[in-house]
Amino acid sequence: MKDAAIRGAGLVLTALYAAFITWVYASQPRTVAQLTGGMAASVGAYQVDRDSFNQGLQFFRNDQFVEARAALGRADPARQDPTTQFYIAYSYYRQGWGRMYSDDALFAKGLESVDHAISIAPGHRLDVPDPALQMRTADELRAELSRGLTKDATDFDPRRFLRERK
Amino acid sequence: MTERTAAREALGLPLLFLTVALLGGFRLLPGDGGAMRFAPPPLVGLVLAVVLMGAMVRARLLVPDALIGSSRSGLASVNGGVVLLTLLAATAQVLSGLSPEAGLMRMAYYFVLVVLVWNTLAAAPDRPRLLHSLFVILGAALVFKHVILSALFDAEGGIVKRVLLAVLEGASLGSVETERLHDATGYVAFGNVLLYLLGLALLPTAGPSFGMVTARAVGEDLAAARAATPVD
Repeated sequence: MKDAAIRGAGLVLTALYAAFITWVYASQPRTVAQLTGGMAASVGAYQVDRDSFNQGLQFFRNDQFVEARAALGRADPARQDPTTQFYIAYSYYRQGWGRMYSDDALFAKGLESVDHAISIAPGHRLDVPDPALQMRTADELRAELSRGLTKDATDFDPRRFLRERK
Repeated sequence: MTERTAAREALGLPLLFLTVALLGGFRLLPGDGGAMRFAPPPLVGLVLAVVLMGAMVRARLLVPDALIGSSRSGLASVNGGVVLLTLLAATAQVLSGLSPEAGLMRMAYYFVLVVLVWNTLAAAPDRPRLLHSLFVILGAALVFKHVILSALFDAEGGIVKRVLLAVLEGASLGSVETERLHDATGYVAFGNVLLYLLGLALLPTAGPSFGMVTARAVGEDLAAARAATPVD
């Protein structure tokens, strides 16, 4: 009887451990914080640091984008909060936006961040009801960043100089 | 005794081999950021792992009958099957963990490994010799990747790089490329190889053996023999 109990417990433990390893390989955490945060998020126990988030938001609204990303990164070290990741992507957009041309390197990082935000958002839909933003969904932000990275004839349209940053 | 065997087959070996599979793909990238990634095994690694397990079966290092067989209960056979699956994952990952990360070196590594495993199969070693052979193969691969290659591609250039380049008489690495990893990855790989070899040594050697003994009363035969024996 005890023998069967040990064998049964072994099967359960092995299945749980194998599931954990599969999750690690599928989610590819890049830091220990992402590993532990991802595990916490998978059981709904992950929370961002509110103070750092608010500080990041303040920097973002003051157009201090590097500082904003540092604070937002501190607020969400595991990169598991879609809203925080959305603001990080938005900061890349605003910093990289230019009336004549956009900074491809910053836009590419923004695209990577917004893709990540979409991938971790429930149902892959992300709405951020912030009245200070002109783009309040991740889909709009993603499309704008993609347009900025695309090279086509509209790049030579003189009306580009009249557009406004969103 | 049976409880110890059950604990080894159901808990010890699967968890040990899964740990080897997890750490086999672990790569810590250089820099203070401590960025890491987990590399899954390539297809060639899985194929090589199956061939190596075939060599283990021939050498009786791995005895399938001792893990899955009609002499075992259903639950025990399931545990044995799990041991086989986790051993396959661990073997593939330990081989891929010791391979150079990219390029010509990686191709050369797998070519040499295929030849070595093929040679091992042809030599048909016994259990201790195969364990010894694996110790040498994995140890050599570890030294090649984490000592020699790591030193050759070290941007700062340590004493090992200077000695190697002196021995090679100024040969250039040319377009040969590989990915630089943090030194800690080598220590993890070292521990992982030891864990893997420990797991192999703990594999059950054979199923439980039974001896058939029949007893027969011999009192009458003895009495007859005594009666027939002349007394001096």
